[in-house]
Amino acid sequence: MNNVLSLNGVCKRFGGVVVADQITLDLKAGEILGLIGPNGAGKTSLFNLISGVFPADSGSIALQGRPLSRLPLYARARAGVARTWQHMRLFGSLSVLENLMVAPTDYPGESLWRLVTAGASVRRAEQQARERAMHILERMKLSAIADTNVNDITFGQQKLVGLARALMSQGPLLLLDEPMAGVEGAAYETMREIVREEAAAGRAVCVVEHNVSFIRDLCNSAVFMAQGRILERGDVATLLESKTLAELYFGQ
Amino acid sequence: MEYVASLLVLIGLYVILASSFNLIIGFGGLISIAHPIFFALGAYTVGVLSTQFGLHPVPSIAAGFVVAMLASFMLSLPSLRISGDYLLITSIGFQLGLLEIIKNLDFVGGASGLGGIPNVVQQHRSLVFAAVALGLAVAVVLSLRALVRGPYGRAIQAMRDDELAFLALGRNAMNIKIAIFAVGSGLAGVAGGLYAYYYQYLTPDQFQILQSAMILTMVVVGGMGSVYGPVVGAVLLLLLPEAITFLNLPSSVMGPLQGVIFTSLVILFLFLRPQGLVPSSKRLSAGGSHE
Amino acid sequence: MLDFQTLLQIFWTGLANSTYAVLLAAAFALVLKVVKVWNFAQAGLMGIAYYTMYLAIQKLGWPGYAALALGAGAAIVAALAMEVFGLQTFRRRHSPPLTFFIFTLVISEFVQYVLAMVAGTEPVSLAATIMSASYIVGGVVVSEWDLKAIAATVVLMALLFVVMKRTRHGQYMIAAADNPHLSRLYGVNVRRVYALTFVLAAVLIAAAMYLFGTRASMVPNTPLEMMLFAVIAALLGGMGNVFGAAVAAVFLGLLRAFSILVIPSAWQSLILYALLFITILFFPQGVRIAPRVRKKPAAGPASAGA
Repeated sequence: MNNVLSLNGVCKRFGGVVVADQITLDLKAGEILGLIGPNGAGKTSLFNLISGVFPADSGSIALQGRPLSRLPLYARARAGVARTWQHMRLFGSLSVLENLMVAPTDYPGESLWRLVTAGASVRRAEQQARERAMHILERMKLSAIADTNVNDITFGQQKLVGLARALMSQGPLLLLDEPMAGVEGAAYETMREIVREEAAAGRAVCVVEHNVSFIRDLCNSAVFMAQGRILERGDVATLLESKTLAELYFGQ
Repeated sequence: MEYVASLLVLIGLYVILASSFNLIIGFGGLISIAHPIFFALGAYTVGVLSTQFGLHPVPSIAAGFVVAMLASFMLSLPSLRISGDYLLITSIGFQLGLLEIIKNLDFVGGASGLGGIPNVVQQHRSLVFAAVALGLAVAVVLSLRALVRGPYGRAIQAMRDDELAFLALGRNAMNIKIAIFAVGSGLAGVAGGLYAYYYQYLTPDQFQILQSAMILTMVVVGGMGSVYGPVVGAVLLLLLPEAITFLNLPSSVMGPLQGVIFTSLVILFLFLRPQGLVPSSKRLSAGGSHE
Repeated sequence: MLDFQTLLQIFWTGLANSTYAVLLAAAFALVLKVVKVWNFAQAGLMGIAYYTMYLAIQKLGWPGYAALALGAGAAIVAALAMEVFGLQTFRRRHSPPLTFFIFTLVISEFVQYVLAMVAGTEPVSLAATIMSASYIVGGVVVSEWDLKAIAATVVLMALLFVVMKRTRHGQYMIAAADNPHLSRLYGVNVRRVYALTFVLAAVLIAAAMYLFGTRASMVPNTPLEMMLFAVIAALLGGMGNVFGAAVAAVFLGLLRAFSILVIPSAWQSLILYALLFITILFFPQGVRIAPRVRKKPAAGPASAGA
């Protein structure tokens, strides 16, 4: 299976509202897929279905061939699904660096038993996590604020930290939920470069965005969603020029 | 001297109880009322092992720790699977139910209690017990401080700040909660074991749900989510009754009066100073609240 | 001798004895549904109502109904005070659920300690004599108390139903229960709705305690255990289902009544806790799933909407 992510006939409804209607989608390594559509189209819900915030009613979701439907949220993340959130969801009591260090590459500090019995390996893992985190922060030009509390940095910086935190995962899939919303200038440039680098390194990236220039800049192809369904998939330029889609997007 | 020593024993025990409860409710954010029952389990384990099997105190108390911890899984596993709210309800049922069972079990003495726990210290009894209790208390507080300042503490803080994001990073929040609950309850069991050896006589009434009022007061007044808060709370609340004994009231009034004072203090602090006497440093704050 | 007569007797007595439990369960479930708070202060309200009525009847010599009114009044005042000075403050401060839990629970404990101090720990009853006139109907002993209790409960629950489903304020209550934020936008005074909810709960509580007290006696820490029964019934009936809780209370009451046939009395109270565990494990959303009560547990009660 050379698809990093495979969705097949995924459906989900909440009471009377259909948020996902027979969603079928493939994503390969190195691909950057844009997910566009009007508000309420089900884009974030799709991310929630993939990452496991809620289970799908039917259909299958597989990561590198491995079915995800039986796995709870945290297990899917460990399997390699990394994501950012529309509302960032940073850990407000912690610094930038600490936010990243909550996601170490293995989890010795999580086991109380190991903490007590294997102190040295915990220290080593802590050191490795710190190095990895600092490396990411340097790539994103955030090293200066590593020890600052996340509530004390600018909005753009917070968004970058959200991305940095997701990058701590070494998994093959990256889901970005409106990473550019409210971000401009240097932060925008940094984010764009980082996403390009990650894709070049082999990650499959899916981005939900309203920022059309970002989609045009970055994505290989895009998918247009409305009312829980995928209406079209194709290369970005064609999609963005389609009149029917423009009507749907703005006409609503 | 004897009197001071026994007060010190109580202080040691309650520092352990308050600190371990703070781990569960202040750091872990797990709302449970069942702390006294784990205290009881530790005490009764020691009671049974020492009277029926003549076991040496150290393994007895260790057994108390293990029994309390295992019992905590019985409570945490089914409840947390659903939600934190349910832990609250099930803890009430667990506390009351287990106490009922103890009252009806003959081999632990039933309602009339378990007595005859052997005396394990021959000389300077109160002093030795005071030293052990305080020593254990210090050890517990320092270990908790180390725990909370390390990666585990960081994880707990992140979990409290935003559990969903925490899970999405691949962290198993459930395991952390269950572990915290187990350790906290186990420590209460240790305190129970020591209690049993000191007082040598146990009745179910000593472990009522209202005991949790006292422990809760210590934690709330002392400062939830700070390592030293429960220490301050425990010391303060144990010295308080000493202060009111001078009023020379009949004992039937004294007991409830203490309860009235404790609960009024909690209410007062909830309104006026919710963070307690010892505020937590930002890193250790009980995340999410903006009080 | 396990004959039909005995079974019928147990059934009837069990039914009659579950009346006050029904009212208490409904009160708890009502507050849970509308205000979204686990009202552990209910035990305190129960104590206040009971001892006020005790004062009126045994010390002041008032007739039953006057005492009941006084008891209801006391419970209403206490409940409103708690809501207005306590819960509203915490809501305004966006306090975490822990605060609501500690506050309500500690209120009950506070009341209990004060009552123990003031009224002592001797069991007290509301009635001069617990025995009431009884008749034999079809071989079953039916006492006047049984009839009055069942009648009162049916009437009160019917009234509650009418208020909730047919009056404007009842509609507001249901709206605020479903979506406080949206109701506020539609002009519903959510604070007044919460206050009304507590008033209704207080009335139910006072009635329940009057029924209980005219049949049995209690000590200051009895309400805490009675409240647990109400909590279990509320859970079993489905969070947010007041009448489901009432039905569950009857079911639990009958279960308890019939359990003496199989379980020695010493272990009886255990059934309650065993049931609690079973309910939690197998029916976390309650046995009757009322429509639109599929709240995500994490977004559940313990703090009312901001």
